[in-house]
Amino acid sequence: MLCLGIESTAHTFSCAIIEKKRKQGRILSDVRKIYRPPEGEGIHPREASRHHAENSPRVLSECLQKAGVKINDLDLVSYAAGPGLGPCLRIGAVVARSLSSYYDMPIFPVNHALGHIELGKMLTGAKDPLVLLVSGGHTMILAFLSKKWRVFGETLDITLGQLLDQIGRYAGFASPCGTKIEEIASRSSTYVQLPYVVKGNDVSFSGLLSATKRIMPKGLESACFSLQETAFSMMGEATERALSFTGKKELLVVGGVAANKRLSDILVSICKRHNCAFFVAPKEYAGDCGSQISWLGLLESSKKNGVQLADTFVRQSWRIDTVEVPY
Amino acid sequence: MCGRLLSLLKLLKRGAEADIYLTTWNGMKSILKIRKKKDYRNEILDTRIRTLRTIREAKMISEVKSFGVSTPLIYFVNQKKCEIFLQYVSGKLVKDLPGNVIIKICKEIGRIVGILHKNGIMHGDLTTSNFILTKERLIIMDFGLAQKTEKVEDHAIDLRLFKEVLNSAHVDIVGKSWQSFLHGYKKIVGGTRMERVIAQVSVIEKRGRYANVV
Repeated sequence: MLCLGIESTAHTFSCAIIEKKRKQGRILSDVRKIYRPPEGEGIHPREASRHHAENSPRVLSECLQKAGVKINDLDLVSYAAGPGLGPCLRIGAVVARSLSSYYDMPIFPVNHALGHIELGKMLTGAKDPLVLLVSGGHTMILAFLSKKWRVFGETLDITLGQLLDQIGRYAGFASPCGTKIEEIASRSSTYVQLPYVVKGNDVSFSGLLSATKRIMPKGLESACFSLQETAFSMMGEATERALSFTGKKELLVVGGVAANKRLSDILVSICKRHNCAFFVAPKEYAGDCGSQISWLGLLESSKKNGVQLADTFVRQSWRIDTVEVPY
Repeated sequence: MCGRLLSLLKLLKRGAEADIYLTTWNGMKSILKIRKKKDYRNEILDTRIRTLRTIREAKMISEVKSFGVSTPLIYFVNQKKCEIFLQYVSGKLVKDLPGNVIIKICKEIGRIVGILHKNGIMHGDLTTSNFILTKERLIIMDFGLAQKTEKVEDHAIDLRLFKEVLNSAHVDIVGKSWQSFLHGYKKIVGGTRMERVIAQVSVIEKRGRYANVV
């Protein structure tokens, strides 16, 4: 089975083709084009969607070419139907609909967050993990229980990715700025006290954001260092609480912020303490990519037929804990 | 003395923020809760969190006793080592009880949370694994995240967390146990206050990511 997956929830437009044999998946190609806002600014949904629309034909043909696959060889097409930015989601959906109707392929709208998890599981071999999903759009701790991914903890306001991006933009960088902040933080070891807010299994970052902005004029390096230490320790504690509550023996980290070395160091140390196996999605597939959408399309197709064109929706607010998972 | 004590320790549970040991205190069966240093945490931050929570837990437990909430007794606190010796309580964690029992117990949980809130205290970590059902009564524990607060928002955070726990760990009975909880809560705080807190719970939920706002 060959599936073309189309991702366009936020800054990334990506097409990927995965071949599935029995339960094994092999990524044949994964091509991305990332919208970069001007320095110090965030994603402008209209500009991002324009970027996606302009780049979609090139990304698509490069994806087919790299995979060595002709469009007629594809068995199905899947697209990220949410959650994400409306204008961006619509581009992916339009590309998917056009291919589906012109080439008469089954079409599957899938949940972007679920894609992160399922691709992470496929690539790492994790079986029944507690999942930490950390990105620009999500900060959630989840576990699978009676047919759905249940939220055991999450952010009460902004996400970890937003926190890092907003600080980065405030300092004048272009988002996404996680890597840049990590690099600056590594140059300091001076900890400045910042608000640490863990509420049960949940975290809240909004106060930390304002407080970090306040200490930035006194030194960007120590501010970035203290920000990372505080925010990641909060995540660590929330994760630890969920691990101890659920008793899971695996931890899987997915999403763009999974690429951060300091965060994964903290999580590795936690896993050691709880005798738990640690899995992290490989760096190139941790962030948004077509592969997560393609793989989820393949999983869906093992249990369902595609949807009618008239039912190919996009939904900006589509929480993962409302999606039933039959496979 | 300490050395002898330590040799009698038996690790019961490696919790999220503390290790729980079974030991004795002056001849009584006791639980030793140690908030150990976490290597992954920056030292200044780590010391601050551990000390603050140890003190807070001890203080809050004594305080809530004064208005009749059942918690384990505190035998001894070592602030420097972040250790608390607590009374050993024999019973079952509510989390591990059968669903129909949890539904019933939730009313009592609601009552206890109501008493806490009425007296200006939020628990901060309301999960079903922080309640023990003994032969006589329901015991609430883990006050490390507790706070003195009268704010509707803070009380709503307690309720939201408990709802989240039911929604994730006890999916099959979430509707009935939540109703049962509210029933008990209402008895203590009254209908008007409960409505206000519940309205605030929705506000918090809407603040969440991808909540149904669009």
